[in-house]
Amino acid sequence: MLELKGLCKRFGRIQAADSISFQVCPGQIYGLLGPNGAGKTTIISMVCGLLRPDSGQILIDGSDFWSDPQRAKRIMGVVPQEVAVYEELTGLENLEFWGRLAGLTARQARSRAIELLDTLALMDRARDAVKTYSGGMKRAINLACALLHRPRLLLLDEPTVGIDPQARLKILDAIRSLRSSGTAILYTTHYLEEAEILCDRIGILDHGRLLAEGTLKQLQDRLGGDRLFVLEADFKDARPDSWPGFLQRFRIIQQADHQLIVAAAGDRDPAECLKDLLGLPFPVQNVTFKRPSLNDLFLQLTGRDLRQ
Amino acid sequence: MIGLLLAKDLRRAYRNPLPWLINLLVPLAMTALIGLTFGGRSNDGAIGRIRFAVVDEDKTPLADMLRAVADHRQASRYLEPIFLDRQAALKALMEDKLSAVLIIPEHFTRNYLTCQQVSFELIKNPAQSVYPAVLEELLAVVATGMNALARNFRHEFPEVLAVLEGHGDYQRIADLIRRAGDRLKTIRHYVDPPLIGYNRQVRADGHRTGASRQGPGFNMFGFLLVGLTGMFLLFIAGNGMIDLHRELRYRTLARYHTIRHRLLPMVAAKVIFAVVLVLVASAIMLGGGSVIFRFDWQHPVALVILTLAYAFFAAGLMAMLTAVVTEERLANALANMVGIAIGMAGGCAFPPQNLPSFLRDHVAPYMPTHWFSDTIRGLEWGQPDAPWFLACLKLAGVSILLIAAASWLFRRRFRRGALG
Repeated sequence: MLELKGLCKRFGRIQAADSISFQVCPGQIYGLLGPNGAGKTTIISMVCGLLRPDSGQILIDGSDFWSDPQRAKRIMGVVPQEVAVYEELTGLENLEFWGRLAGLTARQARSRAIELLDTLALMDRARDAVKTYSGGMKRAINLACALLHRPRLLLLDEPTVGIDPQARLKILDAIRSLRSSGTAILYTTHYLEEAEILCDRIGILDHGRLLAEGTLKQLQDRLGGDRLFVLEADFKDARPDSWPGFLQRFRIIQQADHQLIVAAAGDRDPAECLKDLLGLPFPVQNVTFKRPSLNDLFLQLTGRDLRQ
Repeated sequence: MIGLLLAKDLRRAYRNPLPWLINLLVPLAMTALIGLTFGGRSNDGAIGRIRFAVVDEDKTPLADMLRAVADHRQASRYLEPIFLDRQAALKALMEDKLSAVLIIPEHFTRNYLTCQQVSFELIKNPAQSVYPAVLEELLAVVATGMNALARNFRHEFPEVLAVLEGHGDYQRIADLIRRAGDRLKTIRHYVDPPLIGYNRQVRADGHRTGASRQGPGFNMFGFLLVGLTGMFLLFIAGNGMIDLHRELRYRTLARYHTIRHRLLPMVAAKVIFAVVLVLVASAIMLGGGSVIFRFDWQHPVALVILTLAYAFFAAGLMAMLTAVVTEERLANALANMVGIAIGMAGGCAFPPQNLPSFLRDHVAPYMPTHWFSDTIRGLEWGQPDAPWFLACLKLAGVSILLIAAASWLFRRRFRRGALG
C-alpha cells in the first residue's frame, strides 16, 4: 500500500531524512521509532504531501504520489501530532466538516461521524465544543477526523502523546481494529512499549537515518536473540576489552559508570554465559539476565538511550 | 467547497464573537463619545441650544436690551437664556442644568455710559462640553460690539444716560436719535453694497470650498461614524484574514492540505469570510449608527455599493499582509498599525481638510480609506454629485490587484513548504 524508496529531505545543514526506504502492506502496522528530532514527522509530512522530498519516490497503492497527489490523498487518512481540529466547533461539527472535505455528502458525513463518535465512546459529548474536552477526548476526535472516509492507508504521527493510560489504551484498541479491517498503518512514536506491543514491523530512526528495520523478533535477534546480561558494579575505570577472551564471548551493548550491558556472542547456553560473567577478573555486584528491548537495540546502534 | 469552508468560519466566529464585537462596538462608542464632546446632541445636525442663565443685577434698560438680544428669534435657535437671580443661577449651574451663568453687574449701564471700565461676569460649567466655550466666544463678540459703540458714540453717552435715568426731555431725545441716524447713514456707505463678497460653490473633485449645505438629517455623528467605520472595518478584515495564521498554528490548514491538494480554495474562502464579516460589521455600524445617532443616509444605494467595494479592498489588503508576514503576532500587530496608518492618512480619524498639508495634498487623495470615507461624507453632506462610482471602481481595481498578489505569495509560500 505504501512504499518509500530512497527518500531524502534536507533543511539547510540538517539532513532530516537520509535515503529512507521501507514499505507498509495492507493490514500491517509499521512503527517508526525514534527520539524527538529523529525525522519521523518529516517522513510523515513527505508521505502525505505536506513536504516535497528532495529525492526518492513515494508509491501509494502502486502509483507515484506526485503523479496524482489528489488521488493519493483520497486513499490516505492523516492524524497529525497536534490536535488539528476546530476547538470552537463541537465534536460532531468537526467530524462532519472534515468528512465533507474528504468528499462525503452531508448525510454520509453525519452518519459516519455518529458511528465514529459511538465507537470512540464520545457520543454523550458530541454536541459540546471541543475546547471543553479532556486531552484524551481531543486525541480521539483528532483520530476520528482522519477515519471518516475509511482510508486504506492511515498515517499516525505520535497519536498518543500527552494523554492518560486509559485514553491511550482506547486509541490503541481503535488502531488494532483498523489493522484487522485491512488498513495499512504507518505509526510514529517515541514510546518503546507502544512500538513493541502494537507494531508488526518497526523501523528505528535517528538523525534522519533508518538504522534498523524488521519485526520485533528480527530486531531482537540483532542483539543476540533473547540473551542480554546486565552487570552492576563500579565500571568507571574498567577496561572490558582488556579482560582475557571477553570480547570473543560477549558483545558490549552499553558501558556506563555503574552498569555494563552485554550480549552473548553466538548461540551459547545462558548458564554458561552467567558462569563466565561471574568469573570475570572484576568485582561484579549483580548480574541480571533479560530479553533485549528496542531501547537496547537503540543503545547499541546509537550509543544513546532512547528514553533520554 | 468554498461554501463549506465559509460556513465553518462563520460558525467559529459566531461561537467566539468577542474579537468581532470589540471591533464593532469601539467605533460606535468612539462616535458617541466624540460626538457628545462636540455637542452633536440635536437631530438636525446643528449644535444644540445652549442653555444659560442671565443674572441681571443692574436692572436698567440696557440690561433689558441685552436680554432682548439673547431672546431674539434668530438667536433663540441656538441660545436658551433663562433669567434668574444669582443664587438660583449658581445652584442650577452646580446641578449641571446650565452651560454657564452670565452676570450683568450692578451699575453696569451707568459705568458703561460714563466710559468707565465695565465687565460681564461669566461662570462656565466645564461639564457641558463645548457650550460654555461657545458662549464665551459670543460674549466676546458682544463686548467687541459694545466697545465699538462706546468709541463711536461716547459723546452722546451722557445724553443717553440722562434719557435712561429719566432726566432728558423729548427735544434732546429727538436730537439724539437724529444724530445717531445720520451716523448710521454715513456708515452705510462704507458697508453697503459690500465691495468684497464670495460665491458658494462645490469643486468637482470632491473637495468643498466655501460654505456647504448640510444634507438633511446627516449630522456630526454621521460624519465621525463614516471615518471610524472605514478604519475599524480594516481591523475586522485583518482579524478575518489572520485566521489563516491561526489555521496554520493549529495545524488545521496542514490537515486540510492532507485531504485537499489545492490550497487556494482555503485562501479564497478566507478572503470571502473577511468580506462577509466586513459587510456584516458595516451593516451594524452604519445601519445601527444611523438608528442610534438619529440621522438618515441620503444615498443608500451608493453607500451599499461603496461599502461592498471597500470590503473587498479591506480583505485584499489584509490578505496581502497575511501573505507577506509569516509570523502571526507580527502580522497581527502590523495589520493594526497599517489599519491605523492608512485610516488616519485617509482622513478617517480627522477630517481630511484638517490634516497637515503634505498629508492632505499628497497622501490622502491616494488612500482607499479616503476614497471611501470622503466620498460618503461628500454624498451625505451636501455634495450629491460626488463621484462615488469612480471611487468604487478605484477600490475594486486595488482589491483585485491586492488579492491577486496575495494569492501568488500564498502559492509561493505553500510550495516552499510552509505547512511541513
